[in-house]
Amino acid sequence: MIIGAKQTHSLWQRWWPYLVVILGALLVFGVAHDDQLYQTPILKIQSVKQISSDKQSDQFNNEDRQVEQELDGVITNGNDKGKKLKIENTYLKSQATTLGYHRGQKVFLTVHHNRNRISATISNLKRDTALAFTVWLTVSLLLVLMRFSGLMALTSVIVNGVLFWLAVSWNTHTQGGIVLAIFGGLAIVFAALTLLIVIGFNRQMLMTLLATIGGTAIAIIVALAVFALTHERGVYYESMQYVTQLPRPLFLAETILGSLGAVMDESTDIIASLMALKTEKPDISAKQIFKSGRQIGGEIMGPLVNVLFFIFVAETLPLALLFLKNANSWGYTFNMTMSLGVVQSLISGIGIVLTIPLACGITSLMIGGHKSWGRLQH
Amino acid sequence: MGTITALGLLLLICMVAVGGTQGLQAWISLLFNFGALFFAMVLMAFHFSPVLVTLVTGIIVLAMTIFLGGNDSNSTMVAFYASVAVLILLVILIIPIEHWAQIQGFGQEDSEDLEGMSTILGISYLNVAISTAILSTLGAIAEAAIAIAAGLAEILEQHPKITLKNLQAAGFKVGSQIIGTTFNTLFFGFFGGFLALFIWFAGVHYSLGEILNDKILVGEVLMVLFSMMSVIATIPLTTWAMVASERQARKKV
Repeated sequence: MIIGAKQTHSLWQRWWPYLVVILGALLVFGVAHDDQLYQTPILKIQSVKQISSDKQSDQFNNEDRQVEQELDGVITNGNDKGKKLKIENTYLKSQATTLGYHRGQKVFLTVHHNRNRISATISNLKRDTALAFTVWLTVSLLLVLMRFSGLMALTSVIVNGVLFWLAVSWNTHTQGGIVLAIFGGLAIVFAALTLLIVIGFNRQMLMTLLATIGGTAIAIIVALAVFALTHERGVYYESMQYVTQLPRPLFLAETILGSLGAVMDESTDIIASLMALKTEKPDISAKQIFKSGRQIGGEIMGPLVNVLFFIFVAETLPLALLFLKNANSWGYTFNMTMSLGVVQSLISGIGIVLTIPLACGITSLMIGGHKSWGRLQH
Repeated sequence: MGTITALGLLLLICMVAVGGTQGLQAWISLLFNFGALFFAMVLMAFHFSPVLVTLVTGIIVLAMTIFLGGNDSNSTMVAFYASVAVLILLVILIIPIEHWAQIQGFGQEDSEDLEGMSTILGISYLNVAISTAILSTLGAIAEAAIAIAAGLAEILEQHPKITLKNLQAAGFKVGSQIIGTTFNTLFFGFFGGFLALFIWFAGVHYSLGEILNDKILVGEVLMVLFSMMSVIATIPLTTWAMVASERQARKKV
């Protein structure tokens, strides 16, 4: 009996990631056929005919082609299910604001009933299957390759995602008046929860949490000081996208969240390595701990700053290209599209660098030398 | 002095104070990467193929970030090869998914930015979207490759006689230590940057269906997922590259 139980136990341990992969694949298949769940009518495109293709140009000598296509398809949900429909669609070949459609794609419709005839225009492409597939691929890779640690990483991301959404709703309820307080406070909760999941509750986790919160706070304080000294020259809040409330606090909240992950990543690395060092050499002095920590931190800060830089600045590329093609100068394009991303990267970078002495200081005080706080408490 | 100049100089001072020469190198690599990104954008505006420009830029950026970041020449070489392999795998994955999801260009939420702009551009925004996705993962690939290669180099230094099988297991162990925090770096990096968009969704009361099919949101989430996949793929690829390089080195002896 016991042997049998042990075998099923190890069998389960070995195969659970694959079970999740198979269940996930079924879920993706379900999403591909979830048309009934939508109240908006969905059209499955069965054939595409190109009607015309004309050269277009604008006052900046940009050239493009305008394509007209006729889409034949069948409605797959709701009251009009099974009805066949012909829709005309016009798009520019560059497809920056308009889209060309292919056979087999599903699109959402705005249907107009006109006596007995129905006509429709396309409102959006159905993208949920592509999204579900990519989520499935990521989760599968994560669980199959990294197993338990992958599961923990996934859990922390899901928990943070839920919290993030709750905070966003709260912000909406308060009309954005206390956005900085909400996301500043939530940054602390985010950090505490993530570190609990990744490290577990112990002294190391508390030290890491302290370094993370301290590092992020220092970054924001330094940024505000620089903002005040330079009168925010070259910071164009009006270039922020999707803004529905006061931009400046929103920008700071974005910066806090953006740097939080990287600062947490770094303090975890430094403190974990120093704890391992202490276990290996129990009589190491506080000064040596600080020195080794600085060395470890010095090695990881460069790559980490670059991670955030590429995240913040790469996504401004489409808009920046649009500005350049509209005959704006390089300087103006930079100011209006990339400058806020660069400011965010620099603030996060300062936070990442200053976290190093902070994390080393906390660690050497807590575990190093004879006169340390850690010893005094025991 | 402008705010960006002041912040940039302050970052330089902090980096040099904390990391010395290495700090200076880190700052230079950041400056270089900005230059590379801006240059790539200008090339795209002059109608060079966006994906090709991105691939070349990507390899140069990975080289600069990794060689200016690491110390030990053998482990940085391994990290570089592995990161290029990850980059190529990622491109093969990103191209079909971006064709499928068609998230290129601007959504209805962007209409304010587009006011008065000509959208006759003559550049395939599908390719621009592919380039954007690739560029946004470069930092993550470089960081993960450096972390794994440096971790393994340290293990090799302490236990020069470690079996290749154990070395491989050690690589995955280092990977399991970094994956949790790296995922959160990516999550907060991306979602922090798009806080305004989420507030918009909540404010305008988008339905779940609208959010899950929204061009901008799907594009953003795909970028997070590509970055996460690139980090996951970097762990085994860097480990195998390190094992292969060690096997070569041992054969020579």
